[in-house]
Amino acid sequence: MSEQDILAAVQDIFRDNFDDDSLVITRDTCADDIEDWDSLEQINLLTAIEKKFSIKFKLADVRGLKDVGDLLDLVARMV
Amino acid sequence: MGYTYLMTGATSDVGTALMRRLLTNAPEDTVILAQGCGDVEKLAGLCAEFPGKIRPFDVDLSDPYKVDTFTQVLATSCPAPTHFIHLPALPVVNTKFKNFDETRFDKDMEVQVHSAVKLCKAVLPAMAKAKFGRVLFIQTSYTIGCPPKFTAAYVMAKSALGGLVKSLAVEYARFGVTVNCVAPSMMETNFLKDTPELVVKAAAEANPMGRNATPADVVPAMAFLLSDEAGYITGVTLPVTGGSAIV
Repeated sequence: MSEQDILAAVQDIFRDNFDDDSLVITRDTCADDIEDWDSLEQINLLTAIEKKFSIKFKLADVRGLKDVGDLLDLVARMV
Repeated sequence: MGYTYLMTGATSDVGTALMRRLLTNAPEDTVILAQGCGDVEKLAGLCAEFPGKIRPFDVDLSDPYKVDTFTQVLATSCPAPTHFIHLPALPVVNTKFKNFDETRFDKDMEVQVHSAVKLCKAVLPAMAKAKFGRVLFIQTSYTIGCPPKFTAAYVMAKSALGGLVKSLAVEYARFGVTVNCVAPSMMETNFLKDTPELVVKAAAEANPMGRNATPADVVPAMAFLLSDEAGYITGVTLPVTGGSAIV
C-alpha cells in the first residue's frame, strides 16, 4: 500500500472522527492544528486506524507520535 | 444462620469471585440465587466446589416479562433473600455521541436499571420486615467527577443506579437495610471484551497506581459493604480506583 493510499484512508478516518468533510491533513498536521484533537480523540483515531488496516498498536509505539507524518510512517511499517 | 444472597450478573468475573468469597467458610445453609443470561454453565465449577449452595437461574434481564417471571419464581420457590447484589450491564462501548445507539441504550437500561427496580420491589419488603438486609450495586468511577468522553450511555445508566441507591438508602435505613455501591475504575475482566486494548492500556498507564483494577481489588470492598458490621454505612458510593477518581 502506498503512502498516498494510507494518507487517503487516514484522512477519511479524521474526517469522520472530527465531523468535518472538508478536513485536509498533511504529514505536518498535528494536534495543535485541530481544535478537538486531545488524548481521547487520539485513541479514537488510533483504534479506528487499527480496525481499518487490521493492525494492533502498542502503547509504546504511539506515545511518541508528533504529527500525521509519524503516524503514517508507523502504519506503513505495520501493513 | 446462613444468609440467602440474590446475585444478578453472577456469571461475570466479579460475580464468580464474589460468590467464592461469600461461600468460603459460610454457614451450611447459605444459599446464592445466581442469575446469568445464556451463560450459567460458567457456574459449573463453583457449583461443584460448593455443592448445594448455588441455585443458578438463566434469565434475560433485558425482557421485563422474564424479570417478572423470575421474581415470581423467587417468591414461590426460594427463601427470601437477605442480600441482593446487582451486577449486570452491557459491555461499555466507547463511542462519540453522534453514534449513540438508542436501541442498545434502552436494552442496557432494562438490564441495569429497570430490572433493579423490579427486583428491589420484590426483595425489599421481606428485608424490611426482618429488620435486616443488604443491597449492593456496582457503579463506575466514571460517575465521580468528570467522566471520560465517549461513554454517555454507560454513564447515564450507572448514574440512574446511583440515584436508586441513594433513594432506597434513605427510605429503608429505618428498617436495618443498607443500600450501597462500589465504583471501580476500569477493571480488567471479560466485561472489556469490546474495549480496544489501546484504551485499556492507556487507562492503566494513567492510573496513579499504574494499573487497572482487578476483581481481587473490588471484591473485598463489596464483601465489606455486604457484611454485618457495615450496618451503619448506607447510601455510599465507594470508589475502588487506585486513586484515579477521588471523592
